[in-house]
Amino acid sequence: MKKIGQDELQKIVKSVPMLSASASQLLQLTAKPDHELLEIVTLVRTDATLTARVLKVVNSAAFGLINDITSIDRAISYLGERIIVSIAIGDCAGKLFEKELSGYEAAGGDLWKHDLRTAIAAREVVVQSDAEISPDLAFTAGLLHDIGKALISDYLKDSAPEALALISSQDSKDYLEAEEQMIGFDHTRAGFELAKVWKLPAELAEVIHHHHNPADAVDQYRELVYAVHLGDNIAMLGGFGTGSDSMQYRLDPNYSDYFNLTPKTLANIMLTVDMEFEKLAQSLGNSGDAEE
Amino acid sequence: MGQIILGVGDFGASNQAGEVVKTFALGSCVSVIMLDPKTRTIGMVHVALPDSSINKVKAHEKPGYFADTGIPVLLQQMTRFGCHKRGKGMVVKLCGGANVMDTNDTFKIGKRNALAIKKILWSFGMGAVSEDLGGNFSRTVTISVETGQVTLSSPGRPNWQL
Repeated sequence: MKKIGQDELQKIVKSVPMLSASASQLLQLTAKPDHELLEIVTLVRTDATLTARVLKVVNSAAFGLINDITSIDRAISYLGERIIVSIAIGDCAGKLFEKELSGYEAAGGDLWKHDLRTAIAAREVVVQSDAEISPDLAFTAGLLHDIGKALISDYLKDSAPEALALISSQDSKDYLEAEEQMIGFDHTRAGFELAKVWKLPAELAEVIHHHHNPADAVDQYRELVYAVHLGDNIAMLGGFGTGSDSMQYRLDPNYSDYFNLTPKTLANIMLTVDMEFEKLAQSLGNSGDAEE
Repeated sequence: MGQIILGVGDFGASNQAGEVVKTFALGSCVSVIMLDPKTRTIGMVHVALPDSSINKVKAHEKPGYFADTGIPVLLQQMTRFGCHKRGKGMVVKLCGGANVMDTNDTFKIGKRNALAIKKILWSFGMGAVSEDLGGNFSRTVTISVETGQVTLSSPGRPNWQL
């Protein structure tokens, strides 16, 4: 199998469309611990397309409002930060999330569904274990964590049986290592390179880079990385992986340094993920760009 | 060919020879399959969690979601096709209940699902004749109503029968 060199990876990353200015600013803003809703409103107002999409989502059947909401302020406060971020990312990077991941034998849209479920689960882990970090930031990080798969999937074409064989013979410890052995890069590294080009906030880049090995994350963001590590595992257990790599990663039990999860809390989280996902997927469409 | 597609927490049954009953990508969820040779009926429930006590409202809306409410509701559904109400003579098969690698006790949801299901089945005097449980991979299950053949598939692996 052909390995991707550093130069080629840079080429792949640079061929990906940039985030829109408003999505990029929204990610910067919402990563700040002290941001206010009003700042989000001001930012969304500068983007007419995003404003229209937010109003369309809030008035969709999924929310069942009796009277239409016509003001963007009310729409944003009703939907909450995480849904606004989902709309903004889906609108400008929807094609990437919608892509068929042939290298993982996953259908178009599977990546977006997995990311959305990871996002909801990471947020719930934070909420239900009373952690100190921002639940909404955990959501955003969950949404973006696997973006590298869209970049390397084509290079992994027809490799799924080989990857699984490498893992079962213990030549690779997990799917991540199998990717690295087969093409020279894994999806977290590819995603991290894109995070740099997209100038994502450091917290989000750290999650993209280390979500399978959260102990390697810098101290400052480690708790957030563990939240997404758990969210990712919960999404896969719930039957929403991205094809051949589903559940072929190792759970780091040291999450318990940050989150107190009992079997009952976990069951509640899984149930909430199922219910929230149904609602969000319905209101956003299967992917963020399901305009048509 | 008609298909009955079951999502998470759904249950269904069919005796139409041309149909298949199918559920996609079981992770830690467990699919309970009932085959009644007498009426040639196939039933399946896609169970997500062991115990309905965590959310009674959900259990009411979607009884198939939990092991303790899912099995009785599947049996009830099967009786509409003339099957025995306590499952007498039925062949039971189980699949799913996967785990992530290096799982700890808290994350053994698949195992807890399988155990809860077996307990409920025992309370009806039933037991599985074959099972394909555990492992670190997802399973899509397709059952032919005509032949009763249960086919499993998973991305990157050849299909297999249960």
